[in-house]
Amino acid sequence: MIFLAVRYLLARRRQTILTLLGIFFGTAAYIAISGFMLGFRGYFVNQLVNNNAHVHIQPREDFLTDHSLDLEFFGKSYDHAFWDPAPSGRKDSAIVEDPQAWYRRLAADPRVLAFSPQLTAAVIFSNGKATAPATIIGCDPLQQMKVTTIADYIIEGSFTDLAAGGNRVILGDELRKRLGVRLLQNVMVASATNVPIPFKVVGVFRTGSRFADQGAYGALADIQAVNRTPNQVNEIAVRLEDYLQSAPIASTWSSLGQEKVESWDQLNANIFEVFRLQDAIRYVSIGAILVVAAFGIYNVLNMTVMQKRKDIAILRSLGYQSRDIIILFFSQGVILGVSGALLGGVFGYLFSRYMQTIPFTGGPMGAHGAGGTLIISYDPKIYIQAVSLALLSAIFASLLPARAAGKLTPIEIIRAGAE
Amino acid sequence: MGIIASGIGKKIGNPEVRILSDISLDIRSGEFVALTGRSGSGKSTLLYILSTLDFASEGTVEIDGGNVALMSAQETSVLRNEKIGFVFQFHYLLAELTALENVLMPARKTGKTEELTAYARELLASFGLEGKEGRLPRQLSGGEQQRLAIARALLMKPRYLFADEPTGSLDSINSEIVMKIIRDSNQKYGTTVIMVTHDLGFARWADRRIHLVDGRIAPIPTTG
Repeated sequence: MIFLAVRYLLARRRQTILTLLGIFFGTAAYIAISGFMLGFRGYFVNQLVNNNAHVHIQPREDFLTDHSLDLEFFGKSYDHAFWDPAPSGRKDSAIVEDPQAWYRRLAADPRVLAFSPQLTAAVIFSNGKATAPATIIGCDPLQQMKVTTIADYIIEGSFTDLAAGGNRVILGDELRKRLGVRLLQNVMVASATNVPIPFKVVGVFRTGSRFADQGAYGALADIQAVNRTPNQVNEIAVRLEDYLQSAPIASTWSSLGQEKVESWDQLNANIFEVFRLQDAIRYVSIGAILVVAAFGIYNVLNMTVMQKRKDIAILRSLGYQSRDIIILFFSQGVILGVSGALLGGVFGYLFSRYMQTIPFTGGPMGAHGAGGTLIISYDPKIYIQAVSLALLSAIFASLLPARAAGKLTPIEIIRAGAE
Repeated sequence: MGIIASGIGKKIGNPEVRILSDISLDIRSGEFVALTGRSGSGKSTLLYILSTLDFASEGTVEIDGGNVALMSAQETSVLRNEKIGFVFQFHYLLAELTALENVLMPARKTGKTEELTAYARELLASFGLEGKEGRLPRQLSGGEQQRLAIARALLMKPRYLFADEPTGSLDSINSEIVMKIIRDSNQKYGTTVIMVTHDLGFARWADRRIHLVDGRIAPIPTTG
């Protein structure tokens, strides 16, 4: 029956091509859109995983509850103690309470590749009349380089120059521009409680993220001095052997102390929510295209069944069974689905290759590692999903007309006057 | 061997309309039978019941000793493919296939296409369609199309040929040609022919005539 199905399709070429195009565009669009979205997402996640610490240990967050003050006032907590107004707000700590204990714990944990204590402080940079508020991260440069890839983004100087100490700073490119400062010049750094201290610019970094490039790095001891918080840190950044273990390890560590411990994916949960939303939009939009294509197949096959009623009568009178008639019409839908999916798959791949050559210099993708062009994912899953969806829609669209054709009896058609 | 119909009745529609009543007949193997009667007399319905395309509401039809009503769908299909040939008033050819491919359609069902290709060409040649094997039905005349349909019906060398007004849409010359082919298949190959016709002239070509009036077998009118 495949032979006859192919003849039917070839006999009405225009209709066949139009129907084929529906599946073709659905498949190609799915591959191109998914390739683009997942390519960007892959790059983005890669950047999140590689550029930053896998686990962040930060000062505890302590939110007041209705009974938070019971202990201090009554020595114990009472269910029947009511405060009016009820206590609210938070009594966080600004620093990691016992960093030494964390250092010992992290040094002994074989899952930890490296860790870097940090003190992040809000300061004001000034260079002559130019001033800029910014965030500066004080760190051990050698440890920081093991935990993050910041050293890869240095465009002038070297990150290791911070290790020499003596009030040195590495500025983000945006901050450097705002201050109008050059390499090896001095800038003044002042915290809210301290007089400005001169720092020598020993490097400039550019990550491509405008927010990150407005910050700066200094040696931990120098920033502790500027901030007047000697020996204090407000974050320990940890890099793990296996980044996929970040969330469970962070959960385990959370129970070890009062500090807030978050993994990179927990910290960026909102971004992953956006990704999920993107997926939903992607599936819905491609689903809509394929539903339209499937309706095309359904309509064409329905019409063909109506037009070919006399053929059905002939075939049944020649000894062909109901099953053969179902195959005759079902296979037309499947042929359209397979051809459209395969052609769409090839075109989707070629179009993805083309998209990969489109210059894209804006944002983090263009700035680093992507070669200044769009990043496209060629994950086989995309192609398998695209072809499967197209085939499924073609199969579902063909089933009803094919079954209806199979139910027709020759005598019904002859009585109805098929001619 | 042959076809035996006993007490055949047929009712259709809602409310029910009786088309055939108490038809009993015995068609022997190799016989040429003409079914005649006015329009609406039930002759075509009887033909389709005898040929397994339709089912009787009452009574039984036996073909070569097998009760059609008790056959499975597959057995009926095999019977139609191997033992029964159909010729309709309209040619009912597959428009997308060439003349040769149309003739070979019954063979394709059983995978005997290659085996029967030479015979199919022979049939086409004997029906005056030599050199037209590659033509599509629309490239043939009405008479040629009907001859092609008969060639298709005879490809599997069926024991029974059922023809429903085979000359109904043809001019007199082509009607004559088609009737000669049908008679030849009966006389040369012993094919049992059951033919519905309005044309009393052609009805006389048959060995026996069965006349229907209001769904019942009636005596042959003296005027016809």
